[in-house]
Amino acid sequence: MDDIAPAYDDRTVISTSRLTKVFGNLVAVNDLHLQVMRGDVFGFLGPNGSGKTTTIRMLLGLIRPTAGRAILFGMDTAYQLPDILQRVGAIVETPVFYPYLSGLDNLRVIAAASGMMSGKANDRRLAEVLEIVELRSYEKLAYRKYSLGMKQRLGIAAALLTDPELVLLDEPTNGLDPAGMIEIRRLIQRLSALGKTIFLSSHILYEVQQVCNRVAILQKGNLMKQGKVSELLRSSEQIEVRLEREDETHYALHLLQQAREQGADWIAGARIEPGPRGWPLLIIGAPGSRSSEINAMLARNGLFAAEIHPREGSLEALFLEVTTAPAPDGTRVGMEALADAPAFQATFQTMPDNNRGGAL
Amino acid sequence: MSTVSQATGQHIPPPPARRDTVYMGRLDFLSVVVRLTGVELYKFRRRTMSKVMGTLCVLAILAVFGAFAIGSISTLASPAANFLPASCSPSANPGAIPCPDQTSLPEAAAAAKQAELNNISQPLRLPDSLGVAAQTARDLDLLLVIILAGTIIGGEYSVGTIRLMLTRGPTRTQFFLSKIGAISVCLALGFLGMTLLGIVLGALFNLVTGIAINFSFLTAAWLMHAALYLLASMLGLLVYAMLALCLATLGRATAAGVAGALVWWVLENALGGVFALLGTLIKGQWGNVLQAIPDYFIARNVGALVQNQSHFILLDQPSTLSDLHALLVIAGYLVVFIGLTWWVIQRRDVAN
Repeated sequence: MDDIAPAYDDRTVISTSRLTKVFGNLVAVNDLHLQVMRGDVFGFLGPNGSGKTTTIRMLLGLIRPTAGRAILFGMDTAYQLPDILQRVGAIVETPVFYPYLSGLDNLRVIAAASGMMSGKANDRRLAEVLEIVELRSYEKLAYRKYSLGMKQRLGIAAALLTDPELVLLDEPTNGLDPAGMIEIRRLIQRLSALGKTIFLSSHILYEVQQVCNRVAILQKGNLMKQGKVSELLRSSEQIEVRLEREDETHYALHLLQQAREQGADWIAGARIEPGPRGWPLLIIGAPGSRSSEINAMLARNGLFAAEIHPREGSLEALFLEVTTAPAPDGTRVGMEALADAPAFQATFQTMPDNNRGGAL
Repeated sequence: MSTVSQATGQHIPPPPARRDTVYMGRLDFLSVVVRLTGVELYKFRRRTMSKVMGTLCVLAILAVFGAFAIGSISTLASPAANFLPASCSPSANPGAIPCPDQTSLPEAAAAAKQAELNNISQPLRLPDSLGVAAQTARDLDLLLVIILAGTIIGGEYSVGTIRLMLTRGPTRTQFFLSKIGAISVCLALGFLGMTLLGIVLGALFNLVTGIAINFSFLTAAWLMHAALYLLASMLGLLVYAMLALCLATLGRATAAGVAGALVWWVLENALGGVFALLGTLIKGQWGNVLQAIPDYFIARNVGALVQNQSHFILLDQPSTLSDLHALLVIAGYLVVFIGLTWWVIQRRDVAN
């Protein structure tokens, strides 16, 4: 496999090219091409074992890629890891600290390990981050006595300690109660408003949909989708049409297929599925804004809808569609999936020609 | 500060300024190692283990010098007549050592008692107290540094905090060097502290005997050999600490380091005798080879280094092994243990 230069410009914070990790016979991450831009709140989704944590570990230099490269802030993790880590704060899986130290003392240790000055110089910063995660009143309590939620919050405090540009959060709401989850969500939004780039790996799709502007979905180590949340959701929008008679529904399906063949490419597809009380429903893969157009087209052909509803796209539906359906032949994964993403295309346009050839 | 990307060859713009409450320290290689060593020592100081180890060290040295003090006090408290030769007793065997003249008997008894007291309290005074204290410190610290070295790296793997440390910026080499630095500092402080405490305790207990310390041994050459004696003792401890560090790293657990190093130490001592015996029994060329094998064991070479200096400061017999031989063998072990540990830390993926 030829090594290729990953897509990179000044706005790119994370860029991976053909990033691959193989453990024995298991391909944990396969040919991954990710691109995270400055200021993004990037959702990294995938079922358990899809390779999310392995990817994060590779980005942080904890494990070596079997192939490919990971570039952060324009620097290769293989050569300039210490410089990269100075600009990153991270939680990898459930954060683990020294059990015999208090929360505050653990942060002191991490501050010194992160290159911050020892002694009292950083006491204000320690107090600040403990305040942010609301652990100030528990700072003297031994870490082993912390609840799971408190441990998670201490992990976030540790990640924020050096005021990093990029915050990598691997399942940050694990073990948190609903109030804690909301608080973390607000914290992510606050950090984003401060111009931080957030890389958020999560199972909680609602959470991701709420806070992220871009996402990537991983399945068995392969990148299945990557792009702006709004665009991905738009692509999964549907219109639900109910007609009075079954034969009318079938005729409408035929008309839609015909229209698609004749160039209405905004119709992604159409199918009939049983609705409530046994009525067949016509489900059309199209943006909700096209509802009136569809209604007009049906009316022109003598079909009058009893009901017509736009169905909003949801990340959950998209995620399930991507991760539960068996991958058909020709599924676009890896580089191809990235190439579909408009953000990548925009970046790719700005790359010099010699890189462009290699990148694709 | 601007960095050149090794990936794209472009100049990487400097990172934006951090908040004014964040004070970064120096980030050159050595400063990071020193700061991390400080972190390791801070962590060690905050563990219960450090208090237990410190208490054990004090108790051990107190017990050893206390035992010599009790022996001396007991001698001091005994009647002088007890120290006369057995021939002075009424039921004496006529053929035994002749009893001194009856007129000088009290003086003879007092002299015999003083000689015995002098002899039994010798370990309380320099230079012997140095040997006793260092020997006690070597024996106990061997166990303690093995536990410390096993824990300092094995704990990071078993608890999972290695992940935390390696994602904060230091390189793996800096992380590894800070561990060695912390072990070395603990080892030196523990050993020298115990030895010094022993010498001070010995001098204090010696006050009871009323015997003055004769400092005529104290020459520049003696001081130099004493320093080498202490360094050789610490080097011996360091080799076992590095063995524990290496095994804990390979096994990713404290137990692997501690148990492995102790088993090694026991086996070395046991096998040394076995090889010597086999060599004597087999004789000839193969016998010589078998007898020479223990000369390459850690304990034997560390012992040789210490013994060769002890020869100058405590007038003991020198070892049959030369200093050069011992140093080369120990250096070989250190290279293997440190090199292997570094290589594993450097190459290993930090996964679950």
